[in-house]
Parts: sequence; C-alpha cells; structure tokens
Amino acid sequence: MDWQSLRLSLWLAVATGLVLVPTGVLVGRWLARSSHPLKPVAEATLALPLILPPTVLGYYLLVALGGQSPVGQLYVSLVGHPLAFSFGGLLVASVIFNIPFAWIPTQRAFEAIPADLYDAARSCGLSRWRTLWRIELPLAWRGILSGLIMTIAHTLGEFGVVLMVGGSIPGETKTIAISIYDRVQAFDLQAAGSMSAILLVASLATLLATVWLTRTRPSVRSS
Amino acid sequence: MLNVRLAQRSPIPLDVELQCGPGELLALVGPSGSGKTSVLRAIAGLMPVLGGRVAIDDEVWLDSAQRVDVPAEKRPAGMVFQHYALFPHLSALANVSLALPHGARPETALRLLGDMQLDGLAGRRPHELSGGQRQRVALARALARSPKLLLLDEAFSAVDQPTRQALYDELVKLRERVGIPIVMVTHDLREARLLADRLCILEGGATLQDGPPEYVLSRPRNAHVAALVGLRDIHSGIFHRSADAKSPARLRWGDGEGIDLATVDKGRIDDGTPVRWVIAGEYVHLHLEAPGGVNVVACVIERAHRLGDITTLACRSIAPPHALVHVEVTTRQAREGAMVAQRAVFLRLDPEGIHIMPTRARDA
Repeated sequence: MDWQSLRLSLWLAVATGLVLVPTGVLVGRWLARSSHPLKPVAEATLALPLILPPTVLGYYLLVALGGQSPVGQLYVSLVGHPLAFSFGGLLVASVIFNIPFAWIPTQRAFEAIPADLYDAARSCGLSRWRTLWRIELPLAWRGILSGLIMTIAHTLGEFGVVLMVGGSIPGETKTIAISIYDRVQAFDLQAAGSMSAILLVASLATLLATVWLTRTRPSVRSS
Repeated sequence: MLNVRLAQRSPIPLDVELQCGPGELLALVGPSGSGKTSVLRAIAGLMPVLGGRVAIDDEVWLDSAQRVDVPAEKRPAGMVFQHYALFPHLSALANVSLALPHGARPETALRLLGDMQLDGLAGRRPHELSGGQRQRVALARALARSPKLLLLDEAFSAVDQPTRQALYDELVKLRERVGIPIVMVTHDLREARLLADRLCILEGGATLQDGPPEYVLSRPRNAHVAALVGLRDIHSGIFHRSADAKSPARLRWGDGEGIDLATVDKGRIDDGTPVRWVIAGEYVHLHLEAPGGVNVVACVIERAHRLGDITTLACRSIAPPHALVHVEVTTRQAREGAMVAQRAVFLRLDPEGIHIMPTRARDA
C-alpha cells in the first residue's frame, strides 16, 4: 500500500477543490445569468475536458506549461523550477481537467434559482453581496457541493493527464492511480488490489452522495 | 405623489404617463403583452429604461435626461410578485426580516406578520403555507422597508376565489393603514373595478386612457378601449346634430336603416359622422311592458344565461339594425319576470348614458 501516493492524491484533490469551488461560484453564476452571444462557446470550451482524450489534454498542457512556453518560462523566472513534472504543474492540470465536473453542477444550481427571486432580493433592498450570501448560496449549495465531490473523486482516479504532465515522481507527482499502474507492472497485485479497492469505495461513495444530494433537493419555487 | 413618465422605443416600447397620489390605488389594466408588468418593473428599477422620469414626492428615482437611475435596491418601493417570490429556504419571519432596513428592531418583522393575521406562522417556510398565507407574507415583506410606494404585480391571480375575496378586504384595510400610493397590475377588470380608484388602460406599452373605473368603463375613449375593457356591445351608427339648442341630437342606430335614438350633443362631432357607441349597463332599463319616454326599443330575448345570482339576457332589437344588447338582471328578477328566450321585452336607453366614440381606434 503506497500511503505517500494516497496522501499526495488526497492533497491534490483538496487543492483542486479549493481552487475550483470559489471560481466555479463566480463563473457558474455568471454563465447561469448571462445572455452573452459567446456564452455557448464558453460553455463548450469549458466542457471540453469531458470528451477530450486525457492524453490529448495532457499533451497540450505539457506544451503549454513546459520550459519552452511563455507560461513555463514565467513560472521558472518566478519560482526557480519548471512547472511541468512538479506538484504545481499537476495542480494546474488537475484544475483544468476538473473544470466541467466542478463548474457545470454549480452553473446548473444557479440556473435553477427562479429569476423572480433575484428581483425580490433587489426589491427587498439587498445588495449583490448579501443576495449571494443570503439567497443564492443557500439555494445553490447542493450543486456546489455536488461539483466538489465529483472533483475530488475524479482527481483521485485521474491517470492519463497526470502521467503526461507530472510523470511519476514519488512524493511530488506520483498519485495513487499511477501507483496502482506501477504495482501492476511490478506484479504486486495485492498492493494494486487494496489501492483499487480504496478508489472503488471512494467512487461509489461519490455517486451515492451525488444521488442523495439531487434526490433530497427541496422545491426551489415557493409556490 | 408618484409621477411616472416612460418613453422609449426599444427594447420594450413604452409610452406611459401616470400619477398616483398617497393612499390612492391605480390599476394598470391591459391584455397580455400590453406592457403593464414592464411599467411596474420600470418603476421598481428592475428593468432598465432609456427614456423617462420616475419620481415620488421630491425624490427622483429615474431621470434619463439628468442621468439619474437609482438602483432597485435603493428605491424604497415594496413589491409583491405574481408568484410571491418568497425565499423558499427561509421562514416567513426571515423573509420579512431580510427586507427590514438597517437598524430596524427585529420585532418589527413579527409585528408586520401579526398585522397580516399570520401570528403563529412565523417559523414556517413558504412550502408549509397556503397560497393566501404566502401572499400575506409577501405583503408583509413588501411593507418591511417602510416603502413610499407599493407595487402589486398580479398579486391576487394565483389564489382561489374565497381567498382572493379575503385578500381584497385585507388590501382595503391596508390602504387605510399605510396611506402610500399603490400601483397594481391586473388583467382582471372586475378586480380593478372593485379595488382601484383609477384605471390606466395599456396596450403595446402605451396608455390608451386613464381615469376612475366607472368613467373609463362608461366613457371609453374609443371603440378599441371599449373592447379592451370588455364592453360587449359596441354599436355603430350615424350621428346627427341637434336642430337647435333645445332639442337633443339624433343617433341613427345601425349603418343604414335603423332606430333613431335621442342623445346628448356635446358639439364635438360633425353632423352625419359615422360613429361607434356604447351604453353602460346602469343606463339600460329593462321593462316587460312598453314604458313611456324616449329611446324605447322593442326587443326579444334571444338567450338567457344564468351565472349564479346574475342572469345575462341577450336582447335583440325587433326593428333594424336587429342589434344585440346584453342586460344583466338578478336571477330572481329573471325568474319572477319569466325572462326566458323568445320573451318580448322593452329596453329604455337613457340618453345621458349613450357614449359616442370616433370610428377610428386611435382617435381622440
């Protein structure tokens, strides 16, 4: 059992969630209420990681974050080491490939809030900030939480993108999914089996939590 | 006093001018898509307006010429939405408390709920309340900001008839208590007539006519307004001026051969002008025997339609133009007078009640 990889995967999942939840609230809320003509383009682009092969996404990220790219060079000048094959690079990749898992449920949750509640909030004298805290987030939290759970589960299980961008550096970029692959290659099926069981239970728990969150959703419309 | 002038061509065409005094209830009436809700939303600041002015007393909320546009959350206007728009995750008390201004005492929300006969229901969420109770919570919430203006958007349309009646009573009491202008949007003319001091008839975002309900309903500006306010009998005729100051004007009912009716000459219509005309129900008198006097028209009841305590008689004139006049009587009167189909009756049309309108819809 590779506890170091499990810890790294969990830390990566939490960090990805910490980035994607607040940004998801901002972007999901904007997308939910926007009627901008480019909104469909934005939605399609953000959903790309859902259907793009992980190796393709990984390749583009590697190119974009590598030492030859402007982003990679900027990162080296600021931090002193390259972004690719580091935990930082892994986090950037993890954030990008999890965008649809975190943001789409959040957007749907904001879309489900009836427009007249926004009008009611304004006519009650609530500022935008108070409307967000007192009306929107309490009504949308299930969608946001659902997105967070999906993100964590997806990060724990991601293989292709992680391998392309991070390689397999123990303690730095070697996640539990890569560790399982390594153990199988080394014919250590017992360790691979116990780690796979952990991921299986985590995935099942995720799906159960998502089903529960959507089933117990109360009626948003008051009448 | 609320003063509103809205004039824009797009995105929603509006051409509206209206006033509403303290304690007065103004009803915006019109068919679907007439712009009445847009007017209300523009007053509340919930819809951007390119041209216009909205002011209450000396407080200006919108003045496009001066680039003044106070955001909705800063306009002290209470609004009740068509489906109440209560916050579903909050209790009745929290719904009202949220709208209280900064520094208001928390018990104010309880008092407001108490004023709306909602004692004991403060802890309930909207889905645990009946339609009428939700409506009351919405009213209490609208009043929580101590508004200078109350806006009601089809506020009574989503409740059943008995509840609606109780809410009408509540609104009448509320008007006496708060003494602020109230602007109400409704498509229900009966409701508007019952509650409003003044009606404003809208179509295509423009005011067609405004005035007290009894005036608008008996003196519509033109045939189009008459149709919009639900007047069923819009007749045509030819107007002939008085021969002298002492004699009445003559209205030839029908386009050609027809009945001559005496009417009032206000000196505004030329002799021989084709006109449309209406007469309010209160000026139509039904007789079983031929009465004396002018404007007596012999008719036959074509249909008698009973609707609870009221029976509507469709009476067709025996002489040309064979026009239909609908007369409402109590069901008891209809039964006692044997007012059934094929029965001959006489209608006396009071000259004072005959309202003559130009033939073109947009005239006057």
